[in-house]
Amino acid sequence: MNRLKFWLEQTMTISFAILVGIILEGVVYLIFRGQSLEQFSLSWIQLLSIVLTGAVCSVPTVIWLTDNDIPRNKFIVQLILHCIGLYAIVAVFGRIFKWYSQANGFIMMTVIYFMVYVFVWLVSLWIHKRDDNKINKALDDIRDEE
Amino acid sequence: MKVHLEKVNSKEEEEAVIKAVSVTDEITGAIELLEGGSKGIAVSKDEQVFLIKASAVYYIESVDKKTFVYTKDVCYDCKYRLYELETMLGGYFMRCSKSMIINLKKVRNVKSQLSGRIDATLINDETVVISRGYVKEVKRRLGIG
Repeated sequence: MNRLKFWLEQTMTISFAILVGIILEGVVYLIFRGQSLEQFSLSWIQLLSIVLTGAVCSVPTVIWLTDNDIPRNKFIVQLILHCIGLYAIVAVFGRIFKWYSQANGFIMMTVIYFMVYVFVWLVSLWIHKRDDNKINKALDDIRDEE
Repeated sequence: MKVHLEKVNSKEEEEAVIKAVSVTDEITGAIELLEGGSKGIAVSKDEQVFLIKASAVYYIESVDKKTFVYTKDVCYDCKYRLYELETMLGGYFMRCSKSMIINLKKVRNVKSQLSGRIDATLINDETVVISRGYVKEVKRRLGIG
């Protein structure tokens, strides 16, 4: 049940981050290429592809990164493999759903991918840090004297 | 329910009186919480049996179906299983992983690691791991969840 909840949370976070990435891409095109707002639109199939990508990308996260008791160096290796694995999934989904057709589009998608990856990690770390602070504050009130 | 708090000068004078129409789950919980520290656990070491106060326990670990009770600097054997001790002790004693019960009153601070696990530093400077899956329960026990 915890894994299912974690998968749903990850799906929502990744999908949201991809959406933010696409909006940023739209803003970049708007500002630097002088395109009008009307030229920037998302079809329902693109929105579906975002949610699907989020859901599929969450699977390796749930499988690989929920083991709390692995040593730090092994975790770093897993994290690198995780990043590459997710990049492969995104590239394949991008090809299927036609997110890019030329090299420029592929480069932009790669940039967005790494931005999203870092964003999701930063959000997770921020949530953990917030939990730590709340717990530590509550522990101060009940702690026994040594 | 009205709560009156009266300051006293020593630990010996400390007592709690609960006046209630019936014993609800909340009251049972409060009693368990207040009594937690004064309960005793039968443990053994070097073939000698001791009765130690629950308030002296830092954490309890299960290794190869054997249960070990850790105080500040002594490790005892215990005949009870983890799930029995969990029910018996209640209050601030809670599962922090599949094989460990921690006394939250002995935790100095917690720090999340990149991998998601939480390292809890105890007041005797030992570090134990709290699994991410138990964080919600930790917060609930501390009244912040």
